[in-house]
Amino acid sequence: MTRFLKLLFRNRLAGIGAVVMGLILALVILTPVLPLQDPYATDLGARFKGALQDGHILGTDHLGRDQLSRLLWGTQLSLLVGLASAFAAALIGSTIGVIAGYFGGRTDNLIMRAVDMVMAFPYILLALAIVAALGPGLLNALIAVAAVNVPFFARNIRGIVVTLAGREFVDAARLAGMGHTRIILTEIVPNVLPVIVIAMSTTIGWMILETAGLSFLGLGSQPPQADLGSMLGEARAALITHPFTSVVPGVMIFLIVMSINLLGDGVRDALDPRLKSGALSRPLPVTTVGREGPIPAATDDLLAVQDLHTQFHAGSRIFRAVGGVDLAVRPGECLGIIGESGSGKSVTALSITRLVASPPGVITGGAVRFREADMIGASYEELRQIRGDKVAYIFQDPLSTLHPLYRIGDQLAEAIRVHHKVPKDELRKRAITLLKDVRIPNAESRVDNYPHEMSGGMRQRVGIAMALANEPDVIIADEPTTALDVTVQAQILALLNDLRREKGLAIVFITHDFGVVAQLCDRVAVMYAGRIVETGPTQAILDAPAHPYAKRLIACVPELGHGRRELAAIPGLPPAVDDLPPGCAFAPRCDKASASCCEGDVPLIGTPPRAVRCLYPEENV
Amino acid sequence: MGSYILKRLVSALPVLLGITVIVFLIMSLIPGDPATAILGSYATPDNVEKLNRDLGLDKPMVTRYFIWLGNMLTGDFGRSFSLNRPVIDEVLERFHATLILAGTSFVLCAVLGILAGTVSAARQYGAADKAITFVVLIGISIPSFFLGMMMILLFAVDLRWLPVSGMYAIYGGGDLPDLIWHLIMPATALAAVATGVVARLSRAAMLEVLRQDYIRTARAKGVPERRVIMGHALRAAMVSIIPVLGLQAGFVLSGAVYIEIVFQWPGIGRMLVDAILKRDLLLVQGGVVFVAACYVLFNIAVDVAQSLLDPRIKT
Amino acid sequence: MPFLNWTRRGLLMAATAALTLPVLAPGAQAQTPPGVLIVGQIAEPKSLDPAADTAVNDFRILVNLYEGLTRYKSGTLEVEPALAESWTISDDGTEYTFKLRPGVTFHDGTPLNAEAVKFNFDRMLDEAHPYHDTGPFPLAFFFGSVDKTEVVDDMTVKFTLSAPYAPFLSNLAYPTGLIVSPEAVKKDGKDFGRAPVGTGPFKFVEWKSNERVVIDKYEDYWGDKAGLQAVVFRPITDANTRVAEMLAGGIDMMVEVPPTSIGEFRTDAYQIFEEAGPHVWFLILNAKDGPFADKKVRQAANYAINKSAIVNDVLEGTATVAAGPTPPAFGWAYNDSLEPYPYDPEKARALLKEAGAEGAKLTFFVTEGGSGMLDPIPMGTAIQADLEAVGFDVEIQTYEWNTFLGEVNPGLSGKADMAEMAWMTNDPDTLPYLALRTEAWPDKGGFNSGYYSNPEVDKLLDAARTETDQAKRAKLYQQMQTIVQDDAPWVFVANWKQNAVATDRVENFELQPSFLLELKDVTKN
Repeated sequence: MTRFLKLLFRNRLAGIGAVVMGLILALVILTPVLPLQDPYATDLGARFKGALQDGHILGTDHLGRDQLSRLLWGTQLSLLVGLASAFAAALIGSTIGVIAGYFGGRTDNLIMRAVDMVMAFPYILLALAIVAALGPGLLNALIAVAAVNVPFFARNIRGIVVTLAGREFVDAARLAGMGHTRIILTEIVPNVLPVIVIAMSTTIGWMILETAGLSFLGLGSQPPQADLGSMLGEARAALITHPFTSVVPGVMIFLIVMSINLLGDGVRDALDPRLKSGALSRPLPVTTVGREGPIPAATDDLLAVQDLHTQFHAGSRIFRAVGGVDLAVRPGECLGIIGESGSGKSVTALSITRLVASPPGVITGGAVRFREADMIGASYEELRQIRGDKVAYIFQDPLSTLHPLYRIGDQLAEAIRVHHKVPKDELRKRAITLLKDVRIPNAESRVDNYPHEMSGGMRQRVGIAMALANEPDVIIADEPTTALDVTVQAQILALLNDLRREKGLAIVFITHDFGVVAQLCDRVAVMYAGRIVETGPTQAILDAPAHPYAKRLIACVPELGHGRRELAAIPGLPPAVDDLPPGCAFAPRCDKASASCCEGDVPLIGTPPRAVRCLYPEENV
Repeated sequence: MGSYILKRLVSALPVLLGITVIVFLIMSLIPGDPATAILGSYATPDNVEKLNRDLGLDKPMVTRYFIWLGNMLTGDFGRSFSLNRPVIDEVLERFHATLILAGTSFVLCAVLGILAGTVSAARQYGAADKAITFVVLIGISIPSFFLGMMMILLFAVDLRWLPVSGMYAIYGGGDLPDLIWHLIMPATALAAVATGVVARLSRAAMLEVLRQDYIRTARAKGVPERRVIMGHALRAAMVSIIPVLGLQAGFVLSGAVYIEIVFQWPGIGRMLVDAILKRDLLLVQGGVVFVAACYVLFNIAVDVAQSLLDPRIKT
Repeated sequence: MPFLNWTRRGLLMAATAALTLPVLAPGAQAQTPPGVLIVGQIAEPKSLDPAADTAVNDFRILVNLYEGLTRYKSGTLEVEPALAESWTISDDGTEYTFKLRPGVTFHDGTPLNAEAVKFNFDRMLDEAHPYHDTGPFPLAFFFGSVDKTEVVDDMTVKFTLSAPYAPFLSNLAYPTGLIVSPEAVKKDGKDFGRAPVGTGPFKFVEWKSNERVVIDKYEDYWGDKAGLQAVVFRPITDANTRVAEMLAGGIDMMVEVPPTSIGEFRTDAYQIFEEAGPHVWFLILNAKDGPFADKKVRQAANYAINKSAIVNDVLEGTATVAAGPTPPAFGWAYNDSLEPYPYDPEKARALLKEAGAEGAKLTFFVTEGGSGMLDPIPMGTAIQADLEAVGFDVEIQTYEWNTFLGEVNPGLSGKADMAEMAWMTNDPDTLPYLALRTEAWPDKGGFNSGYYSNPEVDKLLDAARTETDQAKRAKLYQQMQTIVQDDAPWVFVANWKQNAVATDRVENFELQPSFLLELKDVTKN
């Protein structure tokens, strides 16, 4: 609860909303005991008094009644009506929605058609007709407002229930012989309840507005009682001569609805688990940079990552995703980066052109040099010109990384167009050529496909084609084959290998699979907890891994033609990078670890091209 | 696509038929009859009975429903007795006025809302975001009729910048600038809430989309940020914005009732309210069926737009 | 970052556009042109066919387009010749013979003659008439006593009544009796109401739904020609908006100014017109069952309510306190010796105590609006407060006007103890005859919703109706008023002074007690 409140108040506006709402509620609750004047006592001689006149703090209305008193009583009434109608609409609407969604088929069809009919009515007219049929009165206005909102709830809840009704736990309950009522009550309702509550809390404000609207049309509360809407409606007759009388209830409605809206937003955000992780923010076009310490000097490599530090800042917690990584590639070379999920290899790759989502990502140190120019310190425009033109990416999941609404031909063409001025028909030809280059059959017709019309392997080929579009110097491939099945994976790897040799490009290849590395990479860097723990020529490491972690990883690879080998899973989990132990991060999972491993920073040492970060390496390098 | 539209149109027919039943039933349930409404103080039982006979209201309800439905299928919506003219003439004229008002507000709310939401999302937590969030919040929290009243007071009565009410200047005018002149206040007041809702939703949708992998892809390709936002991200966000726009159209149409009353706009919302109060059965029935039919058509159009935008939707 | 520049630029442009817009736009409030009067009406007219209309709002346009056989003398409710130059009444009071004014033409050029007059009344009254289907004619019963209409010669027409009916001449002056062009009716049929043709000083030009009705000076008018080139009637249903339009200069004249706004116009730039009309605002008391069955309790209610506060404060002086059932506007029939019940809560309490009705629970029907109802909700609320102050326990139920009539007209018995009501009539006979006689109880087809019954009153009203001598009739009505006031079947609350506001550019305008808006002599510079 405190955690919830903390989250709520972290949103300052929601905090304001909570305070205003709290004040209004307190006033309303205290209304019966406050020393207010009789809200119904008319004094025709003292009509339309302004604020602070004759002991009327908010003046008097058209019958000389005390506005403050009427305002508070009216607020009470409006809040009650808003709550009650929101509750009634939610209850009835959700029931209808649950029934339609759960039973589906003809029931669903019939109910939803009926809902469509009601929704096709302009809701005000429906409410008006209901009030006209039932007679005026606040209760009837309440019924009308609730009734016109039922379809919205029904529709929303139905949508959610439809997906729930097809889920395994519901099937399981059915197989267990539970009755429909019981399944609905024990399996469905608890799952939609939070949604209902959130929807309700956000519609209360709306309900108050609508009831006020009906009262404004004279169909709400009966005199002398008045809710805020009828106060406004009654005062309107004198709007021009005595605007203050209208302003008082108008501002109160505004305050109530605004604080409810603010609060509703706050509650929704606070309940959203993504807020806690900071993932509700949108990423900036480039990763924020906050470098401390010196910037390393340039080298003559094509691409060099130098002492790179990338962190994620979420609330007060800092995750050190990349903690001082050095890498380099030369033209035509393929460098593998390998490690478990969370080892920082993808973040390293994304940091190169500052594509790490930011917030929460921040690059806090080091440099990335492409042809000696530091990209960490580059301007957005400089970076943009390098991105996709000189340094291109291939991402992991081709379904989510291709834009679902653009034809692949257009996406390919765009990759070229944003860097080079090329005529339109030429662009299309180029796109087709690119598709042919990545061995996509029928490229001429495929070019007009949408991503969802292609298979996973085809999509990944498109991803590669896009990376090749401007014949870049470096391709950074971030687990490009992970989502694919083994045969397709082999094809893609072969393709990349061919391309590398044909076009002489450098590849940084990120994977968690030594088998893949073995097929493609000249050199490999093993990452653990944001740092490189071993680096060297692929074959040398495969033959004689020096770091215990690397050794374990290699042991995980089933070797073709060697029969089944024992897959020794690595016990334990990688450490959380916001709470790294001193010394070797792998020590807690390492069977060779001793007390000295946890004492101080372990350096990366060895004879080039090999190096290892271990006090007790398996091999001396 | 053509067969999809046709399918949707056919499936809308039962909905429309249901609407005719509902509106007919509701109007029959409302106490008070048209003759009383016409005769006012002179509504003696004799006079009422004679007038009801003249109006053809002495027949049983079911018969009346089918007569009405049958006539409507031949394009005859009957005659409004409170306005003494064919229902369809009045409905078309009034709907035209509402379309101008609600249409303008709708375009306003869509364009401004999406723009505000997009800017807000792109500059999340920045000054623009805060300013927009604040304005939007005011927009969705003020009752539109109150906003309208205050605008009249300020801009028309005090400052005399804008006309108080009506659709055209009563003398002279009648041209487009005159119409726009009269539209400014009511359209703004009507659009306020919907703009707020659309802006909030657009912001949320944009934030959601901007986190997607394909946005990172676009950035990795070197697509300029303006194109990333206004092209890639907005287009994807539209998939969730468009249905809300469809819903907002309904709200704008309904909210027009208040605005038409406050600004004396000769629209169909005000006409229907008056007609309900006057128990002008045929006018209410004809008007509601017409509006509902337009709304249903509009929603089909929204769905078609959605399927054009999103190739993943099977048509 | 480019995006930032771009948004900033966009916002800047939008802001500039918003600021410059008012400067570039056409002059918001061009002055209305001279010679053209723009009148703010309270509603869109229903029809411009006088036989089909029931609302004062529509009558205000009609009387400028049409004329009847008789009309109300300016400033009174007495009749004088109009399209009929003269008339004779048979001794038994059942035959009226009218001599028509020669040389009068309708706006379509057709002449006014006896045939035309006969056509008008037959259309309304004869269900077999070929143009009866251009109705319905809701107020046809005004001429319900007409047995037949005959053409005596080209310019003479005779009405035969089924029984003597004193208000007949006055009813002819009422808008329902206005004469339309038969040829135009034959041409337009049901649509005549949207293309009206009469003989009045103005002729119809155009009617744009919900925007305006325009009428122009009729150059061939038989009498003094109209002083204005044109009149534009503009429907503005919302009183507040009407006031705003008036203040902003969009209209030249408005009627039914809301009481709370009238103060805005007390400046040199405006003229305020007031005229007492044949209107009475009262509370029907249920004399059949409940506390008001006791005359003392009814009188107590009359004493308890502070009518002058209602009239002066709620209605801001736009009405006067009513003394009895007949409004003073019917000068000749009004009993000016009547004094209104004074505001005397002490006496009310005493009467209640006497009747043993202290703390009586009352159900009070209040309407939200309706013709002549003034400010029914604030008035009802004030009345409720006054009654509660002397020991009643009052519960208000409000209804929208039509529902309200549907509840009240069939009688209050079993539903309510009191109800608001207001009437505007053209003859002193109408209201008491329809709403105070025993024969007018709801079950007998009248409007006596409070079931008041006094044989004396019944007798007086029957006699007055057939008496053609106005002085004798007046006596009968005055006696009736005295009795009714004492019996207190109603609480007599207010007589409305209709009002209008015009700019100082409008001249020669006068409000009429008939509530009709005669614009023939008005000029505007």
